[in-house]
Order: sequence, then C-alpha cells, then structure tokens
Amino acid sequence: MTQPTASRADTSEQTATAAGLLEITTMSRRFGGLVAVDDVSFSVRKGEIFGLIGPNGAGKTTMFNLITGLMPPSSGRLCYKGEDITGLRPHQIAARGIARTFQNVRLFGDLSALLNVMIARHSHTSGGITGVLGGVFGLPPGPAEERATKQKALELLDLVGLADRAAVQARNFSYGDQRRLEIARALALEPSLLLLDEPAAGMNPNEKQALSSFIRDMRAQFNLTVLLIEHHVPLVMGLCDRIAVMDFGHLIALGEPANVQNDPAVIEAYLGDG
Amino acid sequence: MPSFFVDNGFLIISMILAAVLALSLYVPMMAGQLSLASPGFYSLGGYIAAYMSTRVFHSVGGAFPVPLLLLEMAIAGFASGVLALVVGIPALRLRGIYLALATIAFVEILRVLALTEGLEAITGGAVGVFNIPQPFATKLSYLWVAAPLLLISMFLVYRIERIRVGRAFIAIRADELAAAAMGINPTYYKVLAFTIGAILAGVVGALYAHLLNTWNARQGTFDAAINFLAFVLIGGSRTFVGPVVGALVLTALPELLRALGDLGFLPGWLAQSLSDGRLIIYGVLIAVGAVFFPQGLITPDLLQRRRAGGRTPKQSEIAQ
Repeated sequence: MTQPTASRADTSEQTATAAGLLEITTMSRRFGGLVAVDDVSFSVRKGEIFGLIGPNGAGKTTMFNLITGLMPPSSGRLCYKGEDITGLRPHQIAARGIARTFQNVRLFGDLSALLNVMIARHSHTSGGITGVLGGVFGLPPGPAEERATKQKALELLDLVGLADRAAVQARNFSYGDQRRLEIARALALEPSLLLLDEPAAGMNPNEKQALSSFIRDMRAQFNLTVLLIEHHVPLVMGLCDRIAVMDFGHLIALGEPANVQNDPAVIEAYLGDG
Repeated sequence: MPSFFVDNGFLIISMILAAVLALSLYVPMMAGQLSLASPGFYSLGGYIAAYMSTRVFHSVGGAFPVPLLLLEMAIAGFASGVLALVVGIPALRLRGIYLALATIAFVEILRVLALTEGLEAITGGAVGVFNIPQPFATKLSYLWVAAPLLLISMFLVYRIERIRVGRAFIAIRADELAAAAMGINPTYYKVLAFTIGAILAGVVGALYAHLLNTWNARQGTFDAAINFLAFVLIGGSRTFVGPVVGALVLTALPELLRALGDLGFLPGWLAQSLSDGRLIIYGVLIAVGAVFFPQGLITPDLLQRRRAGGRTPKQSEIAQ
C-alpha cells in the first residue's frame, strides 16, 4: 500500500472550536405516530471517534439519515462547523464535507470500483459551464482534472487494498470488500466528518480487529472525525473516544466508554441483555 | 452521385435524423429518466421552422438560404431548451413510469394546443403549414446539414459519457440516493439531461419541417415516441452507439423489407405485413429484446471486446 496524499488544508480549525464539529440540538423525527428520534441533543467534537449504539430500532440509522439530509427532521437543529445545515439537501451536506456509508451497502453495482470512487470526486471538480465545456471539448481545466480525479480514485482504492481490482464491477466484490469500497468512495469526498453505518457488519473477529486499526489510521491520515453506528460492543468500547446510547428514540447515555458501560440505564436497555 | 443514393435520399436523411432523435431520448435515459417527451420538442421545433420560413423570412424565389435554416434550428433548439427547463423542473420530481406518463401527457398537450383555434394563425390548425421552402435541390443534399448534426450530437454524447457530467448522470441512474449522498444534485442533472435531449429533438424538428415540406399536428405524436424508444432499447441503452445504430437500422428496416417483398422471393402478404406492421414489429422487438438483451444489442462490454480485438460479439454477449 502506498501512503496517501498529503492532508488537506483544513479550514475548519477556527470555526469549529470547543463548540464541536457537529451540534445536534433537540432533534426529533416522527413517522406518523412513531417517534423514531425523540428530542436528541449531542455534539461531536473535532477529531474524535464517536460511537452511536443502541438496540435494533433505537433510531440510530434515522439519526444518520437526519444528519446527511436524506430526511428532514420534524423539529430540532443541526449545526456543522458553526453553520446551520438543518433542511439542506443531501448533496449540499455532502459538499460541505459530511460523507457516509450505508448499513445495507449502496454502491453503484453496475459500475467499476474505480468509477464508484471517481463519481464521489464530484464536489472537487469544476462544474457549471466551464466544467461542461472543458470536459466536452477537452479544454483546461478539463483534462487535467480528469487525470487528477482518476489518480486520486486509484490512491483511495490502494488505501483500502482494492487497487488491483479497480476495473471490476462493484457488485462482484465480496461483502467485506464492498464495505471497504464504500469507505473509499466516502473518503473521495475529502470529508471532515465520516459517518459509518455498521462498518463491521458481517465481518469475522480478525476483520473487525483490522477494521478498528484501519479507522484509527484513517482518522490520523485524513484528519477525520468519525461518527459510527455499531452493534459489536467490544469493537465500540475499544475504538470510540465517546459513546452515545439510544433506546426507543431517546438518548439515554453519553460519555466515555467506561462510564457508559457502567450506566444502569444502559445496562438495562442494551448491555444487560447481551 | 450513384442514383441509388439519390433515389433513397429521403430515407437516408430520415435514418440520420432518427439517430439524433434516438440520442435525444438516450441522454435523459443516461440519467435514469424514461422521458418520452422528445416528439413534443420535435413538433415544437418543426412549427418554429415552418412558421419562420413561410411567414417571417420572405425568400425571393430560388432556394431557401442555408444560414436561415441554421438560424431556425438554433432558435428551435433554444426554445425547446427553455420549454424543457419549465416543464422539466416540476416533471422530473416524478420517477420511472410516472415520468413517462407525464411526458406522454406533455406531448399530447402540445398536439392539442397546435390544433386549437387560437393558434391556427401560427400552426395552420388541423391542415398544418404547407409549402415550407426547400434549401436544397434534392433530398439527399440535406446531408450537408443532417450529417454534421448527427456527428456533432454523437461527439457531444460520446464526450459527456466520459466526463464528470456523464458520471453524475450514470450515478443517478444507478442509485439516486447514493449519488446525492456523494454530493451530486439529482434535480440539477436530471433537468440538464432532459434539456439536452429536448434541444436535440427541437433542432431535428426544425430540419425535418423543411425535409417534409409540410408540418402538422400528426408530426411528433405518441407513436413517434415509441419508435424512438425502440431505437434506444433495441440498439442499446448503455452506450451512445446503441441508439444511433438502432435508429439507422430500424428506420431502414421497413424499406428493406418492402424492397425484399418487391424482389418476389417473400410471399406478398408477408412482405406487406412486414413493411406496414412496423409498430407491431417494434413492439415485438422491444418485448423480445427486454428479455434476451436487457441492455440492447450494443453494450459497452461488446464494444470493449471488439476494440480489444478479442472474441466475436456473440461470445461476449454470452460471457456477459
């Protein structure tokens, strides 16, 4: 594996200080009579690995969908780098540097691994009239950007160990490789905040161990903040700096792994039965 | 010029323009949008050319000036593009078959509008517009405009397929939600694809009005949309070569079948039904093609293997 490119210029340093990179304030989401997320507030600090855990149906994935704009909140506020991003559309939020993976992997299955990652470079290449004309007629900056896009995509594939299969259709990868490809695709956005929805699902213990160190490496290399949903408790306890526990849409605990682990409410709701 | 080409001038130009119309349906399909609106823009382009060449530009005998023809095509393309933006922004909220239905309704609305009394002064009502001036002495000479139009359209789509815009289209076709999560604005690119298709159709309509010498509400109806759709689905919906080849072959096919019938070795009834029952044949081909060649006859995979000089097309189809 080659070392990835130099870290990005980080513009977030000043704006996101002690207030936290991502601020979620009294957020709720109702589906008809069901309250999937009920008055949840927490903030994710810059540079931490933040775990979101809870039993099935606790509202974790709904929380991810709210953060990435796939669904609007019924009430509440979402701030990212000090900017109110409540109600922005998914592509606007992605362009601001929040990338995600999906619980049930959503790659572009018919397309090659390389194309999957190149597509996610969208926000980092010029659009509009100059982009279209430059692309169609091969005028600057079109060709140079196309080369850079491909180069960057290959680097990311190399990072997740899939460079030798760049031309293979995504649907032909094994489940674990699809998850890694999805992470490469998310990294292509050059995010500041990476949301991983059950990244270890379907992995064996060895792979889970490797994933843990991979996530730590990513954070260091790309100056990332990571928010992850995970069911596997040892993984979460070992990896995360802080943990939020949800149950039936409520936030029932928040803190460092050791404290959360001993919280009676958490033991009752989640850890107690496992 | 061999007389064969001169005799079949109209057919040759029709084939070329059909290829551009097929591309006009293919571009929205690149972004996953099944739009059957092309005949509407085609009809609009034809009316613009018919009106301008008979009422606005008073040509003084002789051939209609080609620069004016090009101007009409440009105006038709511009008007179609503007209309596509107006119609596309609300219509493209619909998905799949609902979008197809909405675009069919759009084509019908334009057709009925063309027949209304209020617009009779422009559209000529049910009778249509006659005596549209001819820029060329023979039908075959339309090649001077039609062939560059096809080549430019093909170049445009070929390039789009390979750059950022095309990747955005393809991503939306593959998974709109995931595309949005990767920073791609689905609405923007769907409307863009729809508008590019509309412009192509409008430009062709303007040229066709001159080729046909007359224009009326029977041009650009729903069954034309089915023809275009057949070009794309049978030719191939995953590379721009597919619709072009599909349109060229399927437009020539009825004439070939008719010629075969005239040669006498097919029974008369068969030859007759083959050439007259074009829509039936298209319908059967779409149904059969959807089962056996879901991506059409020409696929990117096929083209790649041909380029690599490897195996025969048939084997690559199986391998796929």
